[in-house]
Amino acid sequence: MGALDGVTVLDCSDPKGHFAGKLLAGLGADVIKIEPPGGDVGRTYGPFLDDQPGPERSLYWWHYAAGKRSVVLDLHSSDGIELFLELAAQSDVVLESCQPGRDRPFDPVALSDHYQGLIVISLTPFGQTGPWRDHAWSDAVGLALGGPMGSCGYDNIPGAPPIRPTEHHAAHIAGYFAATAACTALYEGQQSGLGQHIDVSMHECMGFTIESSAPWALYEQHPLIRQAGRHAGPQPTEPWQYPTADGRLINIFGMPRSEASWLALVAFIQERGMGENLSDLELLDGRKRQLGLQQPTVASMLSDIAEFIAANEAEEIYAGAQAAGAAWSTIRTPDECLADEHWHARGFFVDVEHEERNRTVTFPGAPYILSETPWTHGRRAPLLGEHTREILCGQLGLSDEELGPLIAAGVAQ
Amino acid sequence: MTGSEPNTRPPLDGVRVVDFTWIVAGPTCTRLLGDLGAEVIRVENEQTLDSIRFGRPHPNGFDPPDSGAMFNWLNRNKRSITVNARHPDGLDLIKRLIRVSDVVVENYSSRILENWGLSYEEQKAENPRIIYVSLSGFGHSGPQRDYSTWGPTAQALSGLTAMSGLPEAPEPAGWGYSYLDHMAGFTAAAAITAALKHRRDSGRGQWIDLSQVETGMALTGPATLDFTVNGRPYRETGNPPGNRSVWPQAAPHNTYPTAGDDNWIMITCTSDAEWEAFCEVSDHPHWRTDRRFATLPARLRHEDELDEQIGSWTAGQDGRALMQRLQAADVPAGVVQNGVDLVIGDPQMKAREWTVTRDHPVIGEHLTDGLQIQFSRTPAHRDRPGPPLGEANRYVFAELLGLTDERITELQMNGAMG
Repeated sequence: MGALDGVTVLDCSDPKGHFAGKLLAGLGADVIKIEPPGGDVGRTYGPFLDDQPGPERSLYWWHYAAGKRSVVLDLHSSDGIELFLELAAQSDVVLESCQPGRDRPFDPVALSDHYQGLIVISLTPFGQTGPWRDHAWSDAVGLALGGPMGSCGYDNIPGAPPIRPTEHHAAHIAGYFAATAACTALYEGQQSGLGQHIDVSMHECMGFTIESSAPWALYEQHPLIRQAGRHAGPQPTEPWQYPTADGRLINIFGMPRSEASWLALVAFIQERGMGENLSDLELLDGRKRQLGLQQPTVASMLSDIAEFIAANEAEEIYAGAQAAGAAWSTIRTPDECLADEHWHARGFFVDVEHEERNRTVTFPGAPYILSETPWTHGRRAPLLGEHTREILCGQLGLSDEELGPLIAAGVAQ
Repeated sequence: MTGSEPNTRPPLDGVRVVDFTWIVAGPTCTRLLGDLGAEVIRVENEQTLDSIRFGRPHPNGFDPPDSGAMFNWLNRNKRSITVNARHPDGLDLIKRLIRVSDVVVENYSSRILENWGLSYEEQKAENPRIIYVSLSGFGHSGPQRDYSTWGPTAQALSGLTAMSGLPEAPEPAGWGYSYLDHMAGFTAAAAITAALKHRRDSGRGQWIDLSQVETGMALTGPATLDFTVNGRPYRETGNPPGNRSVWPQAAPHNTYPTAGDDNWIMITCTSDAEWEAFCEVSDHPHWRTDRRFATLPARLRHEDELDEQIGSWTAGQDGRALMQRLQAADVPAGVVQNGVDLVIGDPQMKAREWTVTRDHPVIGEHLTDGLQIQFSRTPAHRDRPGPPLGEANRYVFAELLGLTDERITELQMNGAMG
């Protein structure tokens, strides 16, 4: 069983909430995704199966909607909102992501007031209040305004802009807060018997997710310098990314702290006939080999290390350095991750049946292993309106005679 | 702390967390739990202090272990005790604390707690209801469980570093900070709160084994599926795409320079309506009818020219004023802000009181940042500063564990506390 077994989540969110809903589904909640007629906009996000667009072919949707059920309801129609309210009465959590001033189908605060035990989570770009609350938004605009992007970029390409890491990271970051809010309020509600409204501002979630930029800003009003492939800092630091013989890159941020580990790393390099300068006795002092401290000893050390990396293959360097206790890593692409047996041994990748296509698809799995309440990937992403009848007739008790006209009128699908 | 009315205490009120965390990932998790009302007790050891206690900045002068801003930022709302887990009496103190606690969180390498005699089985023997979170780079199982990571290591291994950068650059830009330290901390907090909920239902605790790299790989779904379903390796298609959008398709979707040194605005048009509104504001209404830019497929084909023309138009304009003009026309646009901008220049953050002034016994008055989750009935809080080392020794050892003054003195002398 999952940790949230027995919890019903009514998910009316758009891509801002897709990851939050996925987390709750993975933890065992029954997540009912309410899609507008025609389908959730996420179904138009690629990549697509065989590069052919279509509402059932979006691999974005396959990933983010897996384990959820789909009901199509037009929440801007009076019949649709009435059915939604009936579903809300049977649910524990409502997740919505509509900005307050943008043609919202229902008022989340009023909804939470109306149903005493209901937890209503509003996951919106800027929260329910403030001058920007209705500002036009995209995931990239969220990362730009919120701070994460301000630390990412290049120091070695003149005029390069700050860089936005790809995928939907504003939704990822805020999704964790929304999921934690849901679990926390459910936990509290077990004792009080009460629900509440929860305002999650994605902008504020971004603002916490900037690591050392935050204390430098809060205490010193000191901005940091963006640097390629490494931490932004108050001063420039040495590069961490070095090209290998097989055209890849190694990140060497984790220079050994202990002497034993340093000597093991030096032995690994010198066994391959390189790294003469690494025998420098000064480097036995842990501080003298740390990056970012403006140590004069570091330049020749790095030049030997760069030469060694350039002469060897990435995965071999990675394994050897890690065996020596250095937290070096290969810079991998997502497809390259699948080749690592460690993740398979832990059961990270999961195979999911797509029965109507007669194929099994390998997905990235859970971000955690829970011993008592295993995370579940759940069924493949729902087809558009796959559960409309099951939910409206099975759960709300509509007859087929009542459902027919709703479908004909475009209220349900 | 707010909440004298019934059912208005912070939502994790009454939850006690034994916090062995250090650096960034674990403390991110326990800061969130502390904000939500849990009583978080940092278990520290004077011989191996959290290096963040020494990290810069030290706004009121360098005087560790209590003068560090980054430590205070990450560790507000927590308490601190000093114990030596390698001393038999120290281990006994920790076990007694676990008996009266709900959650144990640690982000050491994967064998440390085991070596101390605090494996999950051993914790469970003390307290069968305990929820234990081990947060490490590779997790506690699998052939590479002894490999070690920092945030950047995990980012590189998960694919996230490679997915951030300019397409023509010799190396990715990656993340300019330990994104996965934060994300693994958030992951842990989500799992803990779910496990607390489950425990109230079932009476059962559990072990949550969290790998930072897995946290990262779980964020690469569409790119991974493009490989497992379509057989397309990530780099085949000119990735990473800089600040352009691969999915959803959108153009313009990029950063453009504005007036001043290194100032940028992100402008993203995902629909024709947004593009048309953009053209109106841009003083270049002819862009709308230009055949190169009239439709999304055309704009994607001519994205270099499109970006160049927009960049010439934005250059020299005040970024914030431009953002407001574009927003008034409902075009998604935002200036690239850094931390200082969030604290000083951001009207939204100001209106929502994202920062408030708090006091600290060594650092003095300082700003602390916001609560990301605003509960209508059970508000979170940010009242208590980061703990000076060992400030809660008396509270924990005398009040919680009921040790006598004589015994406390003895433990101080024999090295179990310290």
